[in-house]
Amino acid sequence: MRFPKFRRLSLYILLVLLAFMFMLPLWTCFTTSFKTVEDVIYTVPMEPPVSPTTEPLRTAFDIMERPLLNSFMFTLAAMILSCLLGSINGYILTKIRFKGSNTVFLLFTIGIFIPYQAVLIPLVLTMSRLGLYNHIGGLILTHTAYGIPITTLLFRNFYGLIPDSLIMAAKTDGAGTWTIYRRIVLPLSLLPFVVAAVFQFTSIWNDFLFGVVLARGAEARPASVALANLKGTTEFQWNVQMAGTLWYALPVLVVYMILGKYLIRGYMAGAIKG
Amino acid sequence: MDTWLGPLKDNTVVKMVSITIKNLTKTYGNTIAVKDVSLQIKDKEFFVFLGPSGCGKTTTLLAIAGLIKVDSGEIWIGDDMVTSVEHGIHKVPQEREVAMVFQDFAIYPHMTVFENIAFPLKIRKLKKNDIDESVRKAAEILGISELLERKPRQLSGGQRQRVALGRAIVRKPRVFLMDEPLANLDAKLRVQTRTEIKKLQRELGVTTIYVTHDQVEAMTMADRIMVQRDGVVEQIGTPDELYNHPANLFVAGFIGSPPMNFIDCTLVEKGNRLWLDANEFKIAVPEEMANKLRSYVGEEVIVGIRPEDLYETKTVKEPVPENTIIATIDVIEPVGPYVLLHLRAGQLYLVASVKHTRANIGQQVNIEMDCSKIHIFDKKTARAIL
Repeated sequence: MRFPKFRRLSLYILLVLLAFMFMLPLWTCFTTSFKTVEDVIYTVPMEPPVSPTTEPLRTAFDIMERPLLNSFMFTLAAMILSCLLGSINGYILTKIRFKGSNTVFLLFTIGIFIPYQAVLIPLVLTMSRLGLYNHIGGLILTHTAYGIPITTLLFRNFYGLIPDSLIMAAKTDGAGTWTIYRRIVLPLSLLPFVVAAVFQFTSIWNDFLFGVVLARGAEARPASVALANLKGTTEFQWNVQMAGTLWYALPVLVVYMILGKYLIRGYMAGAIKG
Repeated sequence: MDTWLGPLKDNTVVKMVSITIKNLTKTYGNTIAVKDVSLQIKDKEFFVFLGPSGCGKTTTLLAIAGLIKVDSGEIWIGDDMVTSVEHGIHKVPQEREVAMVFQDFAIYPHMTVFENIAFPLKIRKLKKNDIDESVRKAAEILGISELLERKPRQLSGGQRQRVALGRAIVRKPRVFLMDEPLANLDAKLRVQTRTEIKKLQRELGVTTIYVTHDQVEAMTMADRIMVQRDGVVEQIGTPDELYNHPANLFVAGFIGSPPMNFIDCTLVEKGNRLWLDANEFKIAVPEEMANKLRSYVGEEVIVGIRPEDLYETKTVKEPVPENTIIATIDVIEPVGPYVLLHLRAGQLYLVASVKHTRANIGQQVNIEMDCSKIHIFDKKTARAIL
């Protein structure tokens, strides 16, 4: 379809405007992170800093260092665990099948729709019984469990595209259930793993509720909670808060930049060609 | 594993492997896929399961491979009972030492050709040297030695097919199971591969079960064929038996291309002779058939005659007037070695396959029937009377 020149021009203007609007908060966050307290007060947020400084970034990092490390550890662990378990579930549910496997799958999908708030009290009780309250282990366990339904759904849909004859061939070739998973299914799963990993990484990294409820002390406090705490009780240090936000957003940005192209390919599944 | 015959690198004598199936039944929900199938396949035999789609032939094959569980019956591979519902035995596929080739080839997309063929040997933890030797031998037999480092997506359909065959032969299985392995190839390649598979099977001497819906494939490749329909065995026999002595209307109509002509007739007795009365014409029953037909006098039967057993009377030296039908030519199809005449005689449509014809479309011709070649079926039971 060919646009007339005027319509094409107005389309571009609209798109640039929308992009600008979308980028504005990020830009503000970026500029403010490099401003002194005086600059924050006397300049418009969108303006670049008059006397640029990295002081806010350093202050924020000092406060956020431990929480960022915490977040990084439990996010990575829960991401790997939930992807692996989801993959195994998907394999069993599509390729092994057993009596009632459809019901089991239904229960998994229901798990996606249970709101976090509904399980908070039993969750806290369970974790303190297990001795995992205020502990990174508790966050790993919770996020893994909460991630399994969605990863299971994702892997199940993808494995539905792997022809059954491939599994049957492997069986007659002499491979057992786990050998088939390890040598046939797993090597074919790069795409769903990337999609599930990115999805899990962002949602676990961004989670606030489980973090604030399960980890009150510094030893397990996630970055999302620490970021909220940057907002002091008496004064607003906008520059430090913005700098903290930058630190907090960095890992997710990096993950997207590295894996973005796989993500788009993975969303358009069906991309396994024999 | 005591049944393990070793990799394909030495010329160890292969064990005698017959297959026995007793009263096999498998249902999916309310659908009966396989119903009470019993058969015996001889050692080294090339045995074909033939039938239209949904007839249960693939289900029977999967049951032999151990890829599905059956509802009742027994399966023996050699003297090894691999399935018995009664005794609660269901050996898993990896214990059955059978190799299977699938319609979509089912080669592993992430492995090279070498790794694909080596897979069954690697699973059995063979020594690296043995694996290497066996894979190269198999590749050599199939003429794919130069493709060993390629990935499946770089191969043509025919080459993928060979990789699938390579993976099957590399470990000297007790039985080859092939599920429509030629269905995804183009017509020319299909004919060529057909011959090659048959030759390969002879050379390796491995008992083979081959599933197809293509009767030409079945007729050309099989030592014996089982024709299946709606899960039931219609007939088991050599290609020659199925073609010349079909047990029922279904087999008669399924085997042969163009298919057999069927004519509704009433058997009548007139002047001491038996006649097949088809309204438009009467056919005299040859004396040697008459005895078996006596008890059917007055009943309706179906006469079957193959297109090549119909002739234009001009080409017959001594036409017999009692066996002649007057028909109009609707269509003439020159196939090459023979000509197909689509004929109409009243309400009746026939196809005749003749060497050549001088007649034109719309013309009336006298068609003679070779009465020694007719098949007569009971209309009620659809079974062959003779």
